[in-house]
Formats: sequence, structure tokens, C-alpha cells
Amino acid sequence: MASAVFDLNRRWSSQDFPELGAAPVPTEPCISTEYFELEKNRVFQRVWLYVGREEEIKKPGDYIVRDLPAMNTSLIIVRGSDGVVRSFHNICSHRGNKLAWDKCGSCRSFSCKFHSWTYDLKGALIGVPDEKMFADFRRSEHGLVPVAAQTWEGFIFVNADPKPAQTLGEYLGDLGRRLAGFPYAEMTATYAYETELKCNWKVALDAFSEAYHVNTVHGRSYPETFTGKNNKQCHLPEVRLYGPHRSAVIYGNPNHQPSPAAAVAYLFGESVTKRTSNLDELPPQVNPTRSPEFAFDLNVIFPNLILHILPGTWFTHQFWPISVDRTLWEGRAYWRPAKNAGERFAQEFNNCVLRNAWLEDTGTMEATQQALSSQVKTHFVLQEQEVLIRHSYKVLEDYVQFYHRSPPSKAHRKVR
Amino acid sequence: MNHKLPDTFQALEKFVDDWALATQNERQRRRAACTPDELLKFYNAMLPRLEKALSYLNGLKLGSLPDPARRLLYLTLSFAEVAMFAECYEGKPQVPNSFEETRFVAVGGDRVG
Repeated sequence: MASAVFDLNRRWSSQDFPELGAAPVPTEPCISTEYFELEKNRVFQRVWLYVGREEEIKKPGDYIVRDLPAMNTSLIIVRGSDGVVRSFHNICSHRGNKLAWDKCGSCRSFSCKFHSWTYDLKGALIGVPDEKMFADFRRSEHGLVPVAAQTWEGFIFVNADPKPAQTLGEYLGDLGRRLAGFPYAEMTATYAYETELKCNWKVALDAFSEAYHVNTVHGRSYPETFTGKNNKQCHLPEVRLYGPHRSAVIYGNPNHQPSPAAAVAYLFGESVTKRTSNLDELPPQVNPTRSPEFAFDLNVIFPNLILHILPGTWFTHQFWPISVDRTLWEGRAYWRPAKNAGERFAQEFNNCVLRNAWLEDTGTMEATQQALSSQVKTHFVLQEQEVLIRHSYKVLEDYVQFYHRSPPSKAHRKVR
Repeated sequence: MNHKLPDTFQALEKFVDDWALATQNERQRRRAACTPDELLKFYNAMLPRLEKALSYLNGLKLGSLPDPARRLLYLTLSFAEVAMFAECYEGKPQVPNSFEETRFVAVGGDRVG
């Protein structure tokens, strides 16, 4: 029997994670502006958030800018002359103008376009025109305000808390260990889409956090690709919870017959639906039995990053809250740079395959949000295989409640 | 005589003007604007020649393809763009029951190649 190791009919919620409860889950966190403010203050301004890859800022002076309404700020993430990745609030210390305006770039220093105050790559104020006209002025008191930045496997995370409760390594914990060692940095050819969705960030996150929708939403685009005789409903062979983070494995149909175009793509390069690739590229804890049915690993790094890995490629979804019913969604896939036309073709084919799937996934979200806001229905009804969603709302509520007892520090708002 | 495509791929010449497009955004717009009939004609002409075309192109250096080979590459990339629409949606140029495609922004969609 092909699936001997894992039980494809496991009742994940009730058998493995009864502590998450079995009741329907309230929809209020998706429509309440009060809850949205709590999420911003007690989650997004408290935890480590993924903002970019180290490859995006390879050389000293390379920087990226992320405007993050969820953190009430815009951030500069820059590589210093010493090679260290740092992050700063993107705010000039003089009168608060936005300092860096381009989404990315390379520079030796940042100069404000208002009065030309200039900062080095470590955030120190190094230039003030007409400085003697400022009374009792010390440059050292007016550097950029730093934000904690740490990296894991080339992923850059920031934390708006001036004294983060945990290091990034501690925060990622066992999930970080599960996913370490994958050759992320070799796969730099990036194919990305983004859009602003008129829905709560969790409506978007939830839709990508279960496989129950695969038959219905992706029935046309992925016929019998993931589902088949031995797994008609795309049941999950493995679910693991890692503190606030969570993980599941998606299997493919071992009898999947590629379409004519996919068959050619398989001949020339890697593919998200091809399962004859090098399974040993996966870290030891991912697909530990090296089952050929393994399709991909679905990992949710709390609160807003989904990281999928599979041999030959990895892809992410990120959900940035803008307001209670607006979300910036970013979908990105990464491949080894194409060495020839055949590999380039395979990547382009996969880009279209993923894009079409994402168009299908996002297709439900805005209508869902409208319906939720009517409050005709006040709860989500979740089945055993939708356990990651149950975990998501539980963790969120735990954070909101925990920091209710311990209000956020305002230290980072003080003048330095 | 100057041919638009490498010699053994002359049968695809009539698709060059419409489909030998340099960027993802152009290929996507072309697909979204075409009729099912156009889409299927292009798909059906490309499919039997695709493996041969890619094998031919693999014998050349990807970064410095001569113009005829570069056009052939662009045709294969346009094929990648239309393939699912031919195979899964009966040639209809939009994904059924999906998000508004024009709101999906391809980051790097104007990159050439």
C-alpha cells in the first residue's frame, strides 16, 4: 500500500489537536475594526515579520523599502558596509519626511529630499546643512530609529518591538529547524504577482491554508493532479503545529497523467506538479520517508507568511493587512536561474500554472468578505482537514489576549 | 532570403507577428485578447513542434540567441502562456470563476525574455 506511513483519513482536529476545539469559529475577527487594531498592536507590532530575501540586497548599500500599514510605518532594509543587514523606520529625524522613496536601490548614504539631512548605512546622522543654526544640537541624538532585523536561511525578518521577546531563531523554533537546509539561495529566478484584495488578511490566508478546496476551485486547472483514486478529497498526510506556526504536507496523485504541454515542460525542467525530481533536496524532516507521492510542504509562519517547498522550487504567499477589509497579497515562486531555453520554458509554463491557480484562489475572497460583513452568518464551519485554520484563529486570539494583560511598550515612540 | 525563424521552423512563421512577444505582460495581454479559435490554432501548431524547438534552442546560448532563434523562444513562451487555456478551458482566454486578471500585477512582467 502506497500510503502506509501516513493515514489519509486521519481526523486531524479531533484525534490530534482536540485542544483547538470543535465548535464553529467566529467570523468577527475578519470584520471588526476593533479586532483589526488589536491585531496590529499586539501581533504585527510584536512578532517577527518576513520582509525580503538577502539576495535582494546582495551588496553593501543595497536596500529595499517596505511600506507596512500593519506596523504603522515604512521601513528601510539595508546592507551595511560591514555586510550586516539592518532596518530603520523610513523617517527623517528632522521633520518626519519619508527618507527613501524608491522600492529598492543602492546608495552610500540616505539623503532626505526635504532639507538634505543625510544618514549613513548604519543610520547615523552624518550631514546637516546649516547645522550651526540648530541650538544645542548633537547629531548622535538624531540618527534613524532602528528596527530589529535578523535573518534565517537568507530570509530577512523585522520586529517592530524595540525589545523583541524572542530572537528570530527562538521564534521560528522547531519549524525553523524543519525547514533549514533547503537550497533557497540557489533558487533566485523569481516570478511574482501581487494585488490588493478587498478582504481581511485572514480570509486570504485561510483560503491557502487547506486542501479541501482543491477539487472545487482547481478542478479544471489541476485535473487529478493532487486527487486520485487513493485520495479523492486531497486529505493531508501530515499536519504539525509548531507553537504559533503550522505545517501540512500535500500529496500528489501517483497516477497523474500530465497534459501534453506539462509533459514537455517535465522533459526540460522542474515543475510544481512533477514528482520525479530529487527528493533528497528536501530537509530531513520534510517528507522523511522520501515518499514519491509528496507534492509539497505547506508551512504557515505566523502571522502572515506561507512558505511552500518542494524539490526544485519554493514559493510563498504573504498577506499584508492594510485595513480590516483590505490586504496586499504577494505570491512569489523561485527557481534556479534557467541555464537554457528548455528550463526557461518550463519556468514560464509553471509561472502560468501557478498564476492561474492563484487567480482561482483569490477569486472567492472579495465575495466572502462582503458576505461576512453582512453578518448573516457569524461563524465558519470547519471540518477535520481544515485544522490549520482552526489553529490560526486560536493563536491569534491567544496573542490578542496575552498582550491584553501586558500592554505594548511605547519606548520606540520616544525621541532618541 | 531573411527568414523570421530558424530554417526548420518555417511552418510557424505566420504566428511570429502575433505571438513572438518579448515580455510576459505582452504575452499575457495577447492571450487575454484573443479568440478561442486563434488561441487553439496557435496551440495546435506549436504543440507538435515544441519539443524539437526547445531541443534546437538548447543547443544555443540562452543569453545570446540570434534573432530568428530568439523569436522561436518567444513563441515557446507564448505557448506556455496559452497552454492551460487550450488544455483546461476549451480555448477560452480567461480562467473561469477567477479573480479579475487585470488587477494581478506581474512584478517583473516587463522583463525582456
